[in-house]
Amino acid sequence: MTVDVTPAVREFLLAIADDKHLMGQQHAEWIGVTPFLEEDLAFCSIGQDELGHAALLYELLAGDDDAAIDSLAYDRGADEYRSCHLVELATDDWTVAFARHWLFDTADQHRWTLVSQSTVPELRDVAARVEREERFHRMHADNMLDVLLADATARDRFVTAVAALAPLTQGLFEPVPGEAEAVATGVAAGPFAAEWDAFVETIEARIGAVDWGSAPSQAQRTQRSNDWQALMARMREVIDLDLSATW
Amino acid sequence: MIDLELAVHTAIASVDDPEYPGVSIVDLGLLERLDVTDSGHVHVGLIPTFSGCPALAMIRDDVQDAVSMVHGVDRVEVEWLRAPVWTVDRIDPETRAVIGREFTVAVRIGTAAPECPRCGAPTTEESMFGPSRCRSVNRCTACAETVEVMRS
Repeated sequence: MTVDVTPAVREFLLAIADDKHLMGQQHAEWIGVTPFLEEDLAFCSIGQDELGHAALLYELLAGDDDAAIDSLAYDRGADEYRSCHLVELATDDWTVAFARHWLFDTADQHRWTLVSQSTVPELRDVAARVEREERFHRMHADNMLDVLLADATARDRFVTAVAALAPLTQGLFEPVPGEAEAVATGVAAGPFAAEWDAFVETIEARIGAVDWGSAPSQAQRTQRSNDWQALMARMREVIDLDLSATW
Repeated sequence: MIDLELAVHTAIASVDDPEYPGVSIVDLGLLERLDVTDSGHVHVGLIPTFSGCPALAMIRDDVQDAVSMVHGVDRVEVEWLRAPVWTVDRIDPETRAVIGREFTVAVRIGTAAPECPRCGAPTTEESMFGPSRCRSVNRCTACAETVEVMRS
């Protein structure tokens, strides 16, 4: 079943879906190499949820034909993706990966709050399911933060990782094509940028003041960062082995 | 008509959850809607435990195959519904006992500590995430058994 939205609103929904898709992939790449078993399980489960949420949105946009959903997820040109640079960033540092998980899921809660009041009933349904699962992500991050922030060395490393990600984090809130129309038609209750102050308050209440730096140049998410191509190549690795194969 | 609907329901109930061989997806509360027309057109609406569950396509195919075999069925559509959200309350009470006994899996109802399926003592959480999307890992405070906990 597809949702009846304008091409502009479709772009707006793609931004949410693409962030979730790439975030899910990033988490999945930690399976087997996180510092300890519980985090392996956590990143595996959280990654699966993010991919599941992306799939729910892609399905709303592409219909329930699996090939059409896959095509939307994997076959667009670089400038047609709407991911932010934070979720495209490559890192082999688990502290950075964990900090990103916390920043992303905190921001994600704000974003879905806007969509949970949508005039589109299918989006309200998806928002309800997403929130039930995201609750576990935030609980996981909170529990881990209780442990990390109580230790001076761990706290330093974590705060440094957040500082390194702070500029890219602003890109998560940048207006995207179609957002104004989505807000005007009630698809979203407000622009994502309207949530920035509340987001910053949540983050800084936990770790103190953050220098957020200057936002990345991502041209309303129409430009990909340097890390995107390699990430997409890894995601497409099996598909590209044989483009004629049926999945 | 009623007989056909009953036969279709029985066919759906014959599909096991891949995580729990021998346990029906109907008893786990995944069947939300079933429409059967006189002309044998069947529409099945299922809801997933968690949206990222990798078993969704497999379960859908299993239901499709099982219902297609029913005499009198002409066309089958199986759909994963976006709503309602699945909760552990949907698991049949008898099934809770079975997955406790056969798989050492407890079900978290409300906020109370899940009980150990082996000895009945309370369990405490070891890991919020477990071997599948719908389960965390607990340990029994009395017999030290590792207990997986279904939650929603």
